[in-house]
Amino acid sequence: MTQPGPTQPTKPASLATYKRELRKAIHKNKVEPEIMFLNITAMMDMMTIILVFLLKSLSTSTASLPQSQDMQLPKSILTTEPDSEPEGLAVIISKSQLIVGETVVCPVPPDASQYGVEAKYKRGSRNDYFIVPLGSALQSWRDTDKRIRMATGKDPSQSEAILIADVSTPYRLLTEVMFTLGQSEFSKFHMMVLQGGKLGSKQPASP
Amino acid sequence: MPDNEKLSAAQRSRVRRLSMGREIPPDEEGGELNIVPFLDIITNVLMFVLATISVTFTTMIDTEPPRSNGSNVRPPGNPTLSLNIIVIDKGFIISAFGQRIGEGCQGAGSGVAVGMKTMDGQTDYDFTALNACAKRLKNQVPEAAKETSATITANAGIPYQSIIGTCDAIRKAADDGQVLFPEITFGVPK
Repeated sequence: MTQPGPTQPTKPASLATYKRELRKAIHKNKVEPEIMFLNITAMMDMMTIILVFLLKSLSTSTASLPQSQDMQLPKSILTTEPDSEPEGLAVIISKSQLIVGETVVCPVPPDASQYGVEAKYKRGSRNDYFIVPLGSALQSWRDTDKRIRMATGKDPSQSEAILIADVSTPYRLLTEVMFTLGQSEFSKFHMMVLQGGKLGSKQPASP
Repeated sequence: MPDNEKLSAAQRSRVRRLSMGREIPPDEEGGELNIVPFLDIITNVLMFVLATISVTFTTMIDTEPPRSNGSNVRPPGNPTLSLNIIVIDKGFIISAFGQRIGEGCQGAGSGVAVGMKTMDGQTDYDFTALNACAKRLKNQVPEAAKETSATITANAGIPYQSIIGTCDAIRKAADDGQVLFPEITFGVPK
């Protein structure tokens, strides 16, 4: 004969008791919601801001410079950023050619250290400082810039130019370009240089 | 209603089942987009981009159209420094106070005021000596203290880097940062 087990209620408890027990059990088993994912919204915000600043500084500092063997900027000890973004026409003097904006104006001969560009591009003889094709290109840009300056309330009597020259550009060619700029009513030049030079550091020897 | 009323086996089982937390299936995890792999890729790409680009910081040196030598003569009776530097293959010829500066930047004289220097077997312009010379000339008389402009002229073949080096050398004193001649005008050799 088997022994009877512990007393098991055969009759279900009342509904109120059942609900009370259910509430107790739910409260007992309740666990804090676990973080199932990493909240990276703040980090994404930060990275986006950093990326925007990085792209902004890259766009203003390099100015889309075509650094190559044909065009290397000189170094300067200047470390300050320009007060504002330089405005003006970009005149590029590379080892092989003279460029205004996007247009190649004339070639730079290998012996530019003596008489600058070739005599056929000069107004008079080879000793002249005025480069005719450069002057023509500048004049057309100057006319446009004059109208823009008048419309925007700036001084229309002068324009500005950004001079981007290779390290080995001879002084003769440099003065020819600056002289032609001056003759074309460009009265202020911004010579673009690389930061980070050191006073007394090794410079390229003169030819 | 008695407090010690016992639940039946079926009721206990139901209470146990209903009180357990429901597990969220993996495809319903809070409805969040899992962008961790995307972030991994972006981070790696960003690292490569930053490692490969070469950032070059540029700045500007402002100047004006070149003048022919002698055109910037100031009215007499106004003692001015009128620093004029000519860059040649052998160094710097310097004129100040209307006279040419002698060798070693000492008093009036002829020749090259600041010569070349030889370092490691290579000859180069002595920009440090030029800097010291410019400072000495600037501090020589009180009238010159307010003068901040200088004219640079060079031989036809002098490279642009040497011109920029000359501008830097006379911009400010290397030892104490005194402002010397930041306003540069270029001259056209006759």
